[in-house]
Amino acid sequence: MQSEKLTFQTENLDGLTVVRIAGELDLEVASQMRSVMEPLMELSDRKLVLNLRDLKYIDSTGIGILISIVKARHARNAPFGVEEVPSTIQKLFDMTGITPFLAASPNA
Amino acid sequence: MRNDGTVTLTVPAKAEFVDIIRLTLYGIAAKMKFSFEEIEDMKVAVSEACNNAVLHAYDHSQPGQIEVSFTIMNEDRLQIAVSDSGVSFEQVTDRTTSTLHGKSIDEIQSGGLGLYLMQALMDEVEIRSNQGTSVILTKRRLAQETV
Ligand SMILES: Nc1ncnc2c1ncn2[C@@H]1O[C@H](COP(=O)(O)OP(=O)(O)OP(=O)(O)O)[C@@H](O)[C@H]1O
Ligand SMILES: [Mg+2]
Repeated sequence: MQSEKLTFQTENLDGLTVVRIAGELDLEVASQMRSVMEPLMELSDRKLVLNLRDLKYIDSTGIGILISIVKARHARNAPFGVEEVPSTIQKLFDMTGITPFLAASPNA
Repeated sequence: MRNDGTVTLTVPAKAEFVDIIRLTLYGIAAKMKFSFEEIEDMKVAVSEACNNAVLHAYDHSQPGQIEVSFTIMNEDRLQIAVSDSGVSFEQVTDRTTSTLHGKSIDEIQSGGLGLYLMQALMDEVEIRSNQGTSVILTKRRLAQETV
């Protein structure tokens, strides 16, 4: 069910799930992203981190999904964050103001 | 302002066609020698306009078309008009394009960022509304090429 456009690689470490997202996160693959993330969002005893190193494109569709993950994790009191954000994507995070909500709390 | 050529593309108003618009934009903007960063900015802004046409313009039972025309002006200015013939974009001026800045985690919500991003990433954004919506985005190339 993974299209070439966006791929996910999930790594389960000790108390931590890292999802590497590669490709283009746009409207076409938004529902794919949601369905991959939904079960992971529910694991409240683990820290959830999205590694964005190989993410080439995001727009308000993807940022909207990140906002819903932030809110779902916050409601469960479970840590969530992003890492290795490419500069073009960081710029959009800063413009929209989502950046402070994407910093996983340390040692959580 | 001199028009140095227009390229027009019509695609179905469906999510899977938006990347074709991005690819065309890339081709035209790279040929005009826009910088990598400027092209990335335009890709997001144009996609936002197309996403809106896909999501908000048409009834899901009757998807329509999106017409995108790229006009090269004075060699260094690209104007991209994204038009749909769906429901009109009412009360354009009332739309608050609000970001997440200064909000708490309980106040933030997904949605409502597209217009803000278009305005932040382009030099000019004009919205025309009659029998559908046209969003006219303009960006001028800044980095002067040293040839
Ligand atoms: N082409 C259009 N036709 C009709 N209504 C539109 C159109 N474009 C935008 N709108 C209206 O303007 C609103 C704001 O658009 P905007 O792109 O800022 O946010 P959004 O699409 O709701 O969410 P986001 O872009 O963050 O996913 C939309 O919710 C919609 O009501
Ligand atoms: Mg939008």
